[in-house]
Amino acid sequence: MFNYTFHWNQALRALPQMLDGALVTLEIALLSMAIGLACAMVLTLFRLSGNRVLSGFAAVWVEVARNTPALFQIYMAHFGLGNFGIHLSPYAALLAGIAFNNAGYLAENFRGALKAIPDTQARAGRSLGMSSLQAFRYIVMPQMLRIAFLPATNQMVWAILMTSLGVTVGMNTDLAGITQELNARSFRTFEFFALAAVIYYVIAKAVTLAARAFASRMFRY
Amino acid sequence: MRIPVLAFGLLAATALTSPAQADKLDDIISSGTLRCAVVLDFPPMGSRDDSNNPIGFDVDYCNDLAKALGVTAEIVETPFPERIPALMSGRVDVGVASTSDTLERAKTVGMSIPYFAFEMAVTANEKSGIKSFDEMKGKVVGATAGTFEAIALEAQVKAWGEGEFRPYQTQADVFLALSQGQLDATVSTSTVAQANVKTGKFPGIAVVGKAPFDVDYVALFTNREEYGLINYLNLFVNQQVRTGRYAELYEKWVGGELPDLSVKGVYR
Amino acid sequence: MFETALTWSDLAFLAQGAGMTLLVTAVSVTAGTVLGVIFGVIRFQVGPYWSIPLTFVLDVFRSVPLLIQLVLGNAFQSIARLGWPPFTTSCVILSLYTAAYCTEIVRGGISSVPVTTRRAARSLGMTWWQDMRYIVAPLATRVSLPSWIGLTLGVMKDSALVLWLGLIELLRASQILVTRLQEPLFILMICGAIYFILSFPVARLGGYLEKRWSPND
Repeated sequence: MFNYTFHWNQALRALPQMLDGALVTLEIALLSMAIGLACAMVLTLFRLSGNRVLSGFAAVWVEVARNTPALFQIYMAHFGLGNFGIHLSPYAALLAGIAFNNAGYLAENFRGALKAIPDTQARAGRSLGMSSLQAFRYIVMPQMLRIAFLPATNQMVWAILMTSLGVTVGMNTDLAGITQELNARSFRTFEFFALAAVIYYVIAKAVTLAARAFASRMFRY
Repeated sequence: MRIPVLAFGLLAATALTSPAQADKLDDIISSGTLRCAVVLDFPPMGSRDDSNNPIGFDVDYCNDLAKALGVTAEIVETPFPERIPALMSGRVDVGVASTSDTLERAKTVGMSIPYFAFEMAVTANEKSGIKSFDEMKGKVVGATAGTFEAIALEAQVKAWGEGEFRPYQTQADVFLALSQGQLDATVSTSTVAQANVKTGKFPGIAVVGKAPFDVDYVALFTNREEYGLINYLNLFVNQQVRTGRYAELYEKWVGGELPDLSVKGVYR
Repeated sequence: MFETALTWSDLAFLAQGAGMTLLVTAVSVTAGTVLGVIFGVIRFQVGPYWSIPLTFVLDVFRSVPLLIQLVLGNAFQSIARLGWPPFTTSCVILSLYTAAYCTEIVRGGISSVPVTTRRAARSLGMTWWQDMRYIVAPLATRVSLPSWIGLTLGVMKDSALVLWLGLIELLRASQILVTRLQEPLFILMICGAIYFILSFPVARLGGYLEKRWSPND
């Protein structure tokens, strides 16, 4: 059936190199998630602030992040900003693009989570003498994080998958970049990409399981 | 009973009409079309005109090949990474896609004799102050991923031990990055460099010199086992040079001194 | 405000690209939804234990980057000599990708229908099929529709990746124009705006339906 002989050992020889790339992939995903969470928190506060400019800014960010392709966002971070003379390295552009995307989706998750927390709780906090920021920090936020944890885990998996888009802006140290380079050199597409797929699967599963273990420890009632 | 008889009849009929061992050359001639993989963001070898139609040296070369075979040409645009899958899946018959004939790749596809040769040139962003190949040391440089020059340049950057190498997926992205100043310099084939600088669309970049890499011979390619077709391609390349068509096309698309396609001291 | 070399024919070229994006999305979402409904019902019916193989396969589609899936799928079809054009390959991969997510949505929808309601239907003498058709389908659709709209939009945005296989969709069309006209920012903004215009109203509709149909709001 196949008029093709697989050269698997060629791919396996490149495995250590690809695993190095996998570490970079994981690093970018984790960093983008941390930045994304921080930005999402700020965006959520902006939305709650009641200030028109701030909540408008947050709304634009969230809608653009959610309604344009991630590939577009990353491409824009590199070549779009480059037009203004703002030069992000491929690594930084990829990180910025994914973080921007993460923040948009996470902010939306937080909004959903906030709706699930009754207003009365924050009010009770206020009547105990807390400031509104304190009430948010000590009463609302912990619950919000708990509710939003599972969607955030999904976003983390998304972030891992999105790192593969870095090849379009000249990224050559992450898993997809290394795989593509090996492929361009030898034309052995199937072997290298199949191996990459296995590695991505393992990373995604490991992260999901770790998050689940973390959640069951942290969020015990 | 009738169905097996009919089926047998059909089988016999197909067996008679198509010769037992039609190879790819036969297939192309009998189908009447030659499908070429061409990269269209690689001027002057392949690009698009104002109405977004394919033009370029490789496009003309494919048309010549089709004419020699007595068939019509069909240009299939393939991004660089897509050239080989397109061939393997039988979506194209031949690659006329400025493909360097590396030994690594010859393990997977069959290469003809070289049909074009590139010299490597350094193009730099004027702000970087780079005036020669050696001044690229320690700077941010880039090239089109997986190409001959990218592999050589990356090795050079590693040897220098400083600076950064960035591979982009298309030649267009490399020049875009260069003109924006994301890259300080790039090594590309001199034809591509001149063609891009000549367009005037990239202010602030200039070809500053040659890169001391080997000449990059590029070949037509097809499936590894299609010897009949590879033989034909070899002769075709030879005839293009012999009849002066190669020089004509070179003048039309590139201009200047015609690159020699032969290597001294060895056959093929 | 902008000095641009962009012509009407270039805009038409972009529109053609957007058309390709929509076509790929429509084909993939249709096929993916049909598959997703079938897989979702199977997963619900046979229970978590027996559906492990199916769950695993679908999980792979959700845990490997779409870019890798597309390249791999394309390499596979080329090795198997299926001779698919990039459009077919893209649609097949995207359909499976859609199906993987849709299965979960369908399964969630079905399990949101209270067991008591379904028992009541069966005790009225309805067959399994009738129960599915007249009781489960309407209720589950209500629960699933907002997520399904989200999925459709996700697939539309992810379909930008098919440019890797040489299909000229919206983003690739923009890149081609950027190469020729060298006005990256302007053209990319138009490209982003088109995506936004295609996606935003539908996203709003999804949000509206979610609000309107969620039971305890």
